[in-house]
Amino acid sequence: MNEKTVRVLLVEDNPGDARLMRIFLAEAGSSAMELKHFACMSDAVNHLQRGGVDVVLLDLGLPDAQGLGGLRQMHSIAPGVPLVVLTGLDDETTAAQALQEGAQDYLIKGQIESHGLLRALRYAMERQRMQVETEQIRKQQLQLKDEFLSHVSHELRSPLSAIYQFVSILVDGLAGELRPEQSEYLRITLRNVRQLESMIADLLEVTRIQAGKLNIEPQGASLRDAITDTVSMFEGSAAAKGITLSANIPADLPLAYVDPSRVRQVLINLVSNAVKFTAKGGEIKLQTRIFEEDPGLLVVEIADSGCGIKPEVSKLIFERLYQASDAGEEGRKGLGLGLYISKELVARQGGNIWVTSEPQKGSNFFFTVPIFSLASLISPILTNEVKLEDAIAVLVVEMDSQDGWLSPDLRIEMSNVARTLLQRCLLPDLDVVLPKMGPGDAQELFFAVACTNKHGAEVMSKRVREQFRRCERLQQAGLTFTVSYSFLPPISRSVNEPMGEYAENVAAGVQEHINTMMIARNVPT
Amino acid sequence: MSNKTILIVDDDPDVRLGLNIRLKANHYNVIFAADGMASLAEARKHMPDLIILDLGLPAGDGFSVMERLKANDTLALIPVIVMSARDPSANRERALKAGAKAFLQKPVDNAKLLAVIRKALGEKDLTPHLVHDLGEV
Repeated sequence: MNEKTVRVLLVEDNPGDARLMRIFLAEAGSSAMELKHFACMSDAVNHLQRGGVDVVLLDLGLPDAQGLGGLRQMHSIAPGVPLVVLTGLDDETTAAQALQEGAQDYLIKGQIESHGLLRALRYAMERQRMQVETEQIRKQQLQLKDEFLSHVSHELRSPLSAIYQFVSILVDGLAGELRPEQSEYLRITLRNVRQLESMIADLLEVTRIQAGKLNIEPQGASLRDAITDTVSMFEGSAAAKGITLSANIPADLPLAYVDPSRVRQVLINLVSNAVKFTAKGGEIKLQTRIFEEDPGLLVVEIADSGCGIKPEVSKLIFERLYQASDAGEEGRKGLGLGLYISKELVARQGGNIWVTSEPQKGSNFFFTVPIFSLASLISPILTNEVKLEDAIAVLVVEMDSQDGWLSPDLRIEMSNVARTLLQRCLLPDLDVVLPKMGPGDAQELFFAVACTNKHGAEVMSKRVREQFRRCERLQQAGLTFTVSYSFLPPISRSVNEPMGEYAENVAAGVQEHINTMMIARNVPT
Repeated sequence: MSNKTILIVDDDPDVRLGLNIRLKANHYNVIFAADGMASLAEARKHMPDLIILDLGLPAGDGFSVMERLKANDTLALIPVIVMSARDPSANRERALKAGAKAFLQKPVDNAKLLAVIRKALGEKDLTPHLVHDLGEV
């Protein structure tokens, strides 16, 4: 056994019990135990926070922490330190609860003897060590699995690429004329190649989701484009099945606060499912409106006249790898990842996804996304104590590329780096970084709003300038930054004006101010 | 009608054969190399108008090939399209930084491939919506 000195922290308010413990440990003949004793929780917590404790012996009846409260407190301060609780003879229930709350063991007062105590402490430490190890192994295995999946998906692409190349060579008649049947069979092959390709893409997306590497950049965006694009994308395949595909989007639909490419991904998934599961001559309708149950959200509805979903599986379909057993021949094709990916994408944009359905009549899929509101983004900084001389300042960082943008991807990536950096330069609760406010074709513009005075704005822009100058990634990419600020014309708050209204007024002012700046820079608003 | 010369660098003979048929059908001259070293030798010898380059190659991977091309004043002028099965999120930016005109992930749609080739060669392009991968704004 490891004979390194074990540092025991004893928390016990009864001097008699504490003395007994000391005697037991001494009796065990173990010079390798070093006991620190405290009679109350607050002192013990102080000691624990300083570190250097291998195991805690905790009495559950302390004056300043009754029962399991003390256990929870210690566990949250030092989750890696094993705890053994001391209970009375008639309190096995509490002891069992303590184990559930993370204690490694319990000892019943009056039944403790020196060797048993020693053994309990050593076992507690050993169990804790094993738990930590198991958790580490689990994490490593998860990471290995992700790496494996990512590797396999990419390796699968090479042979798939060769199949696509040669089948398309045959289909295009580059290797000689084909009989109609041959042509038809090769087209079927080609369709399956595309299916395999999209399965591989889904597989990779899932590994990204699970590794937390999904990149989502929300901005104020209209759902109109995403919906109309999706509809036109599926017009062909719907028409081929004689399905009517239509969309109804109100003219005054407010902007959503979403990543447009991610919303598109969700829509494509849902509409492709609808086309797949709707029989010939059916109907698919897309609608969007302000959500009846929450005016802060927009809801998108995709209604089909397909085979429907049984109520008992309507929740399961959003689980990973779920496939309907009676989905028909078309429904069985696929990995069963599309709805899972959609659920994750919607959730990470602050919405929800669900389905209502009547078997044999059709399904209605719904998902919600937040409505873009400058006022609700800005209002946190307005609720603070505002001094008289303070006003609303808009800080703008212009990002320019010296030698033109290499690629759209690089530009998105660098924008993310810049936005994160700006976020870090500012003070939470006092300043707020706005999402992307325009297309930013010529240059990327980043805006922050602060409630401050001239001096504060000066300090803030100096700090931002300095941080951007120091950021190696941005400098290496050959990017230049211009930081400036300006104040909004004063927007006074009348005595009894509700905060919400005031925030709306300020938001309108900010929007106008930003529009003016963008027009001055020839950026379409 | 183009009779420009394209150098295909890929260690997979199936990819070389498939691209050969496809590109010849579109009136390009096609030459080949199966590894990094050979690609530089072929480029020097024939001065192709365009190089289609795989990333995972024996005797010098795609990135080192681009580095060597860049180091030579004449070869540096040849446009390069990277075509690889690798993860774009980890390789696209790196390839573009190394000087590639575009990063295409295999399998590449034929229409898109041809559009990107035409754009890189500065030829008239009738399908601009297919070339956003070319990375020029």
